[in-house]
Amino acid sequence: MSLLGQHLRQKLVIICCGAGGVGKTTTSAALAVAAAQDGRRVLVLTTDPSKRLAEALGVTANTPDPVRVRPEREAEAGIRPPGALSAWMLDPKLVSDATVRRLVKDPQRARELMDNPIYQQVTQMIAGMQEYTAMEALHGFVARDEYDLVILDTPPARNALNFLDAPRRLGEFLDGRIFQMLLPDRDGRGFGGTTRRMAGRVLSGVFGEEFYADLQVFFSAFSSIFAQLNGNAQRMRQRMQQDDVVFLLVTSPVRTALDDALYFEDRIRELELPLGGLILNRSRHLAEHRPMPGPELLPPHATDAHHRALKALQKLAERERRHEAEHRELVDTLVQHAAKDIEVLTVPEFPGGIDDLEGLGALARWLLDDAHARVRD
Amino acid sequence: MALQPILDRRVVLVAGKGGVGRTTTTAAMARAAAASGKRVLVTEIEEPATQAQSSLARMFGREVLPTRPVLLAPGVHGCMLSTEMGTERFLADVFKIQTLARLALRNAALRRLLHAGPSFHEMGVFYHLLHLIREELPDGRPRFDFILVDMPATGHALALTGLPDILLRLVRRGPIAAALREGQGWLNDPHTGCAVVVTIPEPLPVTEALELVEGLQATHMAVCCMVANRVPVDPFDEEARAALADILPDGPLYGKEELARIERARTSLERLQKSAEARVIAVPEFEADGREAVDAMAAFFLGQEFPSTGGLP
Repeated sequence: MSLLGQHLRQKLVIICCGAGGVGKTTTSAALAVAAAQDGRRVLVLTTDPSKRLAEALGVTANTPDPVRVRPEREAEAGIRPPGALSAWMLDPKLVSDATVRRLVKDPQRARELMDNPIYQQVTQMIAGMQEYTAMEALHGFVARDEYDLVILDTPPARNALNFLDAPRRLGEFLDGRIFQMLLPDRDGRGFGGTTRRMAGRVLSGVFGEEFYADLQVFFSAFSSIFAQLNGNAQRMRQRMQQDDVVFLLVTSPVRTALDDALYFEDRIRELELPLGGLILNRSRHLAEHRPMPGPELLPPHATDAHHRALKALQKLAERERRHEAEHRELVDTLVQHAAKDIEVLTVPEFPGGIDDLEGLGALARWLLDDAHARVRD
Repeated sequence: MALQPILDRRVVLVAGKGGVGRTTTTAAMARAAAASGKRVLVTEIEEPATQAQSSLARMFGREVLPTRPVLLAPGVHGCMLSTEMGTERFLADVFKIQTLARLALRNAALRRLLHAGPSFHEMGVFYHLLHLIREELPDGRPRFDFILVDMPATGHALALTGLPDILLRLVRRGPIAAALREGQGWLNDPHTGCAVVVTIPEPLPVTEALELVEGLQATHMAVCCMVANRVPVDPFDEEARAALADILPDGPLYGKEELARIERARTSLERLQKSAEARVIAVPEFEADGREAVDAMAAFFLGQEFPSTGGLP
């Protein structure tokens, strides 16, 4: 069995990383279908499904809980009990509200905090917060034991590394020393007094007295919660280093794919996170051999138009063959350069894209076919 | 020229999903605008997380873009829109004292706050852009009369265009509010600002581009045109296409996938043209990468002969 097949059968958490536009969401959903077909109870968490993919899975935005794919649709996709497929489109606001309610035991106090006007805007604006809420949601589900496998489609970003760097960015913001600058100076003494006075002058000048005061109220109210979030983020990072978690990098056959993949591999090793494989989407490298169009296709007494048609068709065929050769070269280089234990899988272009369970099922079968997995010998 | 209606604007945001050629389009528009006499500034938004190499810079043969405008090509300056530069400018403008701004930024904790704090990244970028719009030549004309922004991934793009609305709900007075309103004036007035949405003629990307248009309009950005990139050139004239039916075998053959792709592109492009209110510029596919693709596309925008599209007629 391919390594990916083993991951889908054994792991508890699979995290799909990748830059925008590489087909990460579709790949995550297809992996979920594959594992559910294999009899596991699977949840796929996503932030940004295309509308049609969402329809296929039956998820809509803003539901408070994951949505189970309807059993008759599951059956159509070859999923039978105990296998089950659920999906949830993450809403950062809902997740952070749930976090506040969990951390603040008194419901009245929790409601007050959530009514804070800055809080209502701020949760989606803090750098790394979207990634944090994805992790937080992931952890919630892992702890609940409702699912055998949770697949996380990481939030969209220009760069695949964003997700790995998110805890550090959030940590910087949640750092206690930074908060102190925004907290009202109760006794005018102590650590950072000068800094805080200067910061106060700068910040009230910048924000205006009124908003600066609002900010102080917000940070006073939330400082203990933020401290806990920071602790959580650290613990989650450690949890992600364990054996039952695996990261996958999804990429596409563009010139920068190789550089991106190798850079990602370096970083993920630095962070001591487990990288399990690399999925190259829209690759033509495994296309079957087929004949080139030649004069034998011409009918007897071919007209001038027939000759022009053949000439044009031959140009298209040349282009198709050239693309295939380029993709093969890229895959060979990837396999050569990737570390020994990293599996490289290639997925063909599915004409017209994938937008229903059937298409996801076809992609899942492709991904699990041993013939398509390549590991360095 | 294909770009004529856009060239009257001062600020143009180029948006689109990864992998559709957004950065190439931005660079080509910059070159074409410069060729028609504009003082062009091309910018991209600093990514605090990664500091990866700049793909926009690479389109002009450089590795990175500095935060102050440098000459990249005749008539084209370029720079990185950076939080720190924006914040420094902002503090200097608010306090009228450069030294206090510098001093404040030298404080490590404050700097980290400005990088990681709520919306501070976007706000810094926003102000840096505003500063560049305001810059004037000694004779009072704007230093740059055509500014292009290569916008990051969809979600982040909307975070930036939506910033003024969100922040103005919280901050109603003071220097930030004033800067936000001024920036809004430039961006949201269709005479001075607009967005260009870039996509490719495939079913899913077209759907997502149309969703992006809705998202941008919800943040009060007018979308003045859409660019359909990499439209495969159809090498068949009408007669040859009819004759093709006689020669295509039933079995597998090289060339059939390309034929299917041309068909998908045709229907996707038609859907885009029908659904989008803005004009659609269909850019043919060039068999070129990086800087060569920029050359080809700029020439196309200028309505000149463009280099070979992979030997197709």
